[in-house]
Amino acid sequence: MPRAAGRPALTLEAQERRFALALLGPALAVLLLTTTAPLVYLAWNSLHRLDLAMPWLSGFAGFGNFGKMGGDPRFWNSLLLTGIYTGSTVVLQVGLGLSLALLVLQIPRGQGVLRIAAILPIVLAPVVVGLFWRTLVLAPDFGLVDIVTRALGLGSHNWLGDPQLALISVIAIHTWQWTPFAFLVLLATLATLPPDVYEAARLDRAGAWQRFRHITLPLIRPAVVMVVILRTMTALSAFAAIFAATGGGPGSATEILNLYAYRTSFTELNLGYGASLAVVLMSITLAVSYLMFRLRRARR
Amino acid sequence: MNGSRPLRRIALALVAGSGLAVWAFPVLWGLLTSFKTERDVLAYPPVLVFTPTLDNYREVIFGASSIVPNLWSSFVVATAATLLTMLLAVPAGYALGRLRYPAKRASGFYVLATQMLPPVGLIIPYYLVLQKVGGLDTYGGLTVIYLTFSLPFAIWLLVSYFEDVPLEMEEAALLDRAGRLRTLWYVILPQVRGGIAVTTIFVFLNAWNEFMFAVVLGGNRVRPVTVAMFNFISVEQTQWARLAAGAMLAMAPVILIGIFAQRHIVKGLTVGAVKGGGRR
Repeated sequence: MPRAAGRPALTLEAQERRFALALLGPALAVLLLTTTAPLVYLAWNSLHRLDLAMPWLSGFAGFGNFGKMGGDPRFWNSLLLTGIYTGSTVVLQVGLGLSLALLVLQIPRGQGVLRIAAILPIVLAPVVVGLFWRTLVLAPDFGLVDIVTRALGLGSHNWLGDPQLALISVIAIHTWQWTPFAFLVLLATLATLPPDVYEAARLDRAGAWQRFRHITLPLIRPAVVMVVILRTMTALSAFAAIFAATGGGPGSATEILNLYAYRTSFTELNLGYGASLAVVLMSITLAVSYLMFRLRRARR
Repeated sequence: MNGSRPLRRIALALVAGSGLAVWAFPVLWGLLTSFKTERDVLAYPPVLVFTPTLDNYREVIFGASSIVPNLWSSFVVATAATLLTMLLAVPAGYALGRLRYPAKRASGFYVLATQMLPPVGLIIPYYLVLQKVGGLDTYGGLTVIYLTFSLPFAIWLLVSYFEDVPLEMEEAALLDRAGRLRTLWYVILPQVRGGIAVTTIFVFLNAWNEFMFAVVLGGNRVRPVTVAMFNFISVEQTQWARLAAGAMLAMAPVILIGIFAQRHIVKGLTVGAVKGGGRR
């Protein structure tokens, strides 16, 4: 960066540093107070027995809460569900979003309407989406899906009451709401690709798949990786839509780790164990995001 | 592989049409349902032709289960959180995107890390502390915890806009001895007006839609509209049409924002993704 002439560079740099500190300081202080300090308190609580239903038993428990998880089948179930839920929704969103974006790119008109339709799910509150699906879309007999399956002769199903169907349903809800995100981002990315590369490839008689595999994919890889990272984070902390649609049930059929931590803390009022579950979820989230950012850098 | 083949065009239109239908239909169906009587809602086969009624809207606005106080709660919390967030995030985004200072990478990474935190990890300590200081069911408590997700998000979105401003403008102003603060105010900020608007929209939208913090830290006094949606659902029965009317009312602001700010939203989404992908 060229410097102003006639002034000693050191003063300017010091001045810039002081200015940066003054601008960034307040935000960093607020973040420290509102996020980091509570996390320290969370970690402290995870080492305690803190049961609002049985307050007389409260006290320091060391790593007792974490030891308890080893023999807690509900914990292992929630961990497995978190993996299934996150993995399947991210793959579905990116797969469907990318396919649709590639197709829509070839449509000369009507992209605008599709973009508005895609915006709708994104702006809706997840809790409203969950309630909408629970009633209007998935309710037995009167829901849209049931009307269709009955008309097709497939019969009526309890989409949210049957454990296996319930898991598929909450995955479908999440995929419905967030595929537009992948679609819109990838559509915008594809639209910026230079057309002359394709012309050259076409002259070389490269097939459609080869063009995609060797030209398109490498060019959009950064965007795809970014979408995967962002979508993974959202899926790991998904809450409101599942809470509204199934509440984690039936039983614990849709209880991902996030919901288990919530239910333990605020339904069963066992805040100590809930805090330790939240610590585990947080460690997983940070580890996954760290790995993904590493991966992103390595690919370059 | 020619775009003008009619069969191919029809197939493409079909795919696009089904995407359109799948995304828009549940919302349109909800809109339709909100004008039905409870009896029409539960008719089988579903009725498409019915006498529309405004009873549901009358009930959720003026009736016993009015959600107007909840809309007010949402508005107060979302507005307060948005104002505070922007006040802190604009200077921070500028410093992070533009200035040189020690530990810049570390501070940027710290902001990013706070954005990754799952909300359930924050809500337990907040609940315990707010309970002790009498902060449950207050606007203050909810506003503060909303900063935890809106502030990191806003800072990072703004950084990408600040990075787009041509360096020369800033340097020219500084050469004129305009002073750093005046340069930021008169030269840089007008350049990122659009970015600030988009960020404000996003922050407000996210705060308006928030549910988990609201359901735990809210109460009878401060009860955002996302929580109030459960008024229409009880063990005995679900009031479908009223739920639909309430949801339409609650989501009207964000749907309108979504439609009118469509271009900006897509740009906002991609600024984070595309540019973030190319940055470091």
